[in-house]
Amino acid sequence: MNWKNVLRLISVDTKSGRLIRGQRLRRYTESKLFPYLLYGGSCILGLAIGWLVGNFYSGIPDLDTKAIIYQGALNLFPSLPTMVLIYSLVFTMMSQIQRSGARASIQPPYWLPITWEEHTLASTLANLIGVPLASIVLIGSAVAVASIFLGTIALATLTIFALLVSAFLASTTTEIFRILQVRLVGAVYKSSGRAAIWVRFLGTMLFLIAFYIVWFAFTSGANYVAIVEGIASAQSTLWLIPYVWLGIALVFFIKGLLAYVVIFSLASLLFILVLFYVAIRMNMRFGLYEPPAITVSRGAYAPRVGFLGKLGFSSLEAAVMKKDFKAFTRRRELMYLFIMPLVFIIMPLMQWVGGGERFSPFIFAWILLGPGTIMAVMLGSMIVGSEGGSIWHFYSSPITARGFVKCKYAFVTIFSLIVMGVCSVVAVLVAHPSLDLAIASSIESVLLIVALGMVSLRSGIKGADFVEIPRPRMIRPLSAVVNMIVCAVLALVILSPLIPYAISMMISLMNLPISLPKFDLHLALPISGFVSLIITYIFYKMTLKNAEDFLTKAEV
Amino acid sequence: MVSSRESAVKLRGVAKRYSDIIAVDHIDLDVEYGEIFGLLGPNGSGKTTTLKMILGLVKPDSGSINVLGTNAEENPVEVKRQVGYVPESPRLYEFLTGIEYLDFVGDVYGMDASEKKNRIDEYLEALELEGREGDMISSYSQGMKQKIALISAFIHKPKLLLLDEPLSGLDPRSARIVKDLLRELTSQGVTTIMPTHVLGIAQAMCDRIAIMYEGRFLALGNIEELRAKARLPESDLEDIFLKLTGTGDIRAVVEELLR
Repeated sequence: MNWKNVLRLISVDTKSGRLIRGQRLRRYTESKLFPYLLYGGSCILGLAIGWLVGNFYSGIPDLDTKAIIYQGALNLFPSLPTMVLIYSLVFTMMSQIQRSGARASIQPPYWLPITWEEHTLASTLANLIGVPLASIVLIGSAVAVASIFLGTIALATLTIFALLVSAFLASTTTEIFRILQVRLVGAVYKSSGRAAIWVRFLGTMLFLIAFYIVWFAFTSGANYVAIVEGIASAQSTLWLIPYVWLGIALVFFIKGLLAYVVIFSLASLLFILVLFYVAIRMNMRFGLYEPPAITVSRGAYAPRVGFLGKLGFSSLEAAVMKKDFKAFTRRRELMYLFIMPLVFIIMPLMQWVGGGERFSPFIFAWILLGPGTIMAVMLGSMIVGSEGGSIWHFYSSPITARGFVKCKYAFVTIFSLIVMGVCSVVAVLVAHPSLDLAIASSIESVLLIVALGMVSLRSGIKGADFVEIPRPRMIRPLSAVVNMIVCAVLALVILSPLIPYAISMMISLMNLPISLPKFDLHLALPISGFVSLIITYIFYKMTLKNAEDFLTKAEV
Repeated sequence: MVSSRESAVKLRGVAKRYSDIIAVDHIDLDVEYGEIFGLLGPNGSGKTTTLKMILGLVKPDSGSINVLGTNAEENPVEVKRQVGYVPESPRLYEFLTGIEYLDFVGDVYGMDASEKKNRIDEYLEALELEGREGDMISSYSQGMKQKIALISAFIHKPKLLLLDEPLSGLDPRSARIVKDLLRELTSQGVTTIMPTHVLGIAQAMCDRIAIMYEGRFLALGNIEELRAKARLPESDLEDIFLKLTGTGDIRAVVEELLR
């Protein structure tokens, strides 16, 4: 194993994220600011949390209370490796799903004198760079400082070591998953023939749904104390699963059973070595595997006249919309956009199924307003950047700025309205809302989609980022953050005429003895609609100007 | 260098600068209707920037560009309607099938459905893509992708073709078809501008050639005029190119590399 090669490969992976639209790379100097902020900030935050907890503990005069807190800390430490493992697993898996289909950045190692061991190790470690590593730094530094006050330095040292190993364990598992899915997905495509596209789409959706059901089953309705307790009790009952052995080793360390500590620690290390070996062997076997061609259609080609033309779209605009629909249902890295609407449906449904309570009108409104609106915001901000290197088609096509905005905006709103429609059916079937609530929520949802779709499209054009490797950026981070803030504020502005309606509903739900003047929904909805249309119009004008600039400044 | 005839493409005093790099340095150019015009030059000499400015993809810092009687800066959409463009490394929509992609391009240019079908079928057959047109482009070889990109530039019968390295990755048969097709289109009045590094192709296909270097034209004319300019009467384009661009003394470089 050439460690320098491993470091070089990790460095390539981190540098692949440095390309930013509008920056000339000829004189690029890498900014250290973000890593400093991320890891330094996490460390400072962790130290501060540890110091606060430690001081709080030291300042407690009552010995019984002190003992309870000490016991709580002893319960917490062994749960941390499993928590980090689950968190790292979720993060690295999501990161893999979003990875671009463009393979250019990962191919050079295949023809350079780099071994599969080096390649696998570098890929596994590179997965952890960023948020997973920052969270380990945060938790680790908090644990370290708190342990000084608690007098558990040895336990803290072992815990920090276990955190690092857990994260590596999660990342190795993700590496195996990555290779497996390339191979398995290829086999599924080959056998499913023309249905491969829908098999891929539905497969990804099912994976995401299953993933979130597991995730919410684990976290929903629980606070962190409950999670820690849950992990602590689960670890002892699930001791046969190697992933919890590190936590179990810490439990035995607290109990002073050192022989068991050694056994479970060695077993954990052996498990990691086995997993890593499996990852290397799979990379050797399938690393260069090329998925088979997906045949979508056979037979004679017959151009179809779609219904979009009847809706007033030109052939160019309709072609772009059809192409975008195919992109969002065929490009795996774009399918994660469906996660947010799924989360908005799954989260309250999980709580409802778990709690067995009557559906709150607010949850109904949440399911109806949330997914469609979030879809409009996400799609609007990403639809232009999702073109990636293929954006030259727009630069070289006879498309006007007006046509460009029209077809992109129409796609965003139509797609979001479909999502809203599906969600409203689910919500109505589950919640049986009042007619007033159903109508008000539906209208407001449409108004939010119409306005925020345009606001986000403007951000998506102005802040488009066409970098595709290692994963499509689509929008510059600053533009994304600004867009989210602007959309949140404007959503409140649009919904504000209905705030009295929400308050009166809340009062009636809580049976409070307060009488409010009768609220006129028929007046509030048109006001809200007027506000939404004004916002849409203002942002349409701005979007049009941005599109004109955009189409005359080719960047690729 | 400037012709008195009506030109398909007319550049006057066109310049483009990227921060401190001069990409194109106040060039004048006339490309006639029905001409295959070759743009040669070392990497970074300004060929692609010139091409992009002609298409209205890049705004010149100064000068004027007239394409097919239209000011490219004022009305780029009208120019694009009449142009077929293939960039140097075309990134196609890989999630579409070949047929879906060509259907998309046909719709973008507002082609009639039956005309679109006929053309697509003809080109797919001619370039031997039949049988693979229903596969996703992601599974195509580089040459197949290039064929799809070329078909997409041809199907709407453009009056001007801007083809950056058009024969890159093509098999000999397809390359021959494209060359013959370009000649045939030229006889019908279609103009082609073709930046290339393959000097043999430029010499064989182009009516006139411009050699660009550091954003300027070092020489412009047919092969005889270039020979005269380089004072190499019997030489081929490679020797002329190396002499004019001052990169002719390559023996020392090779010897240095072999040490």
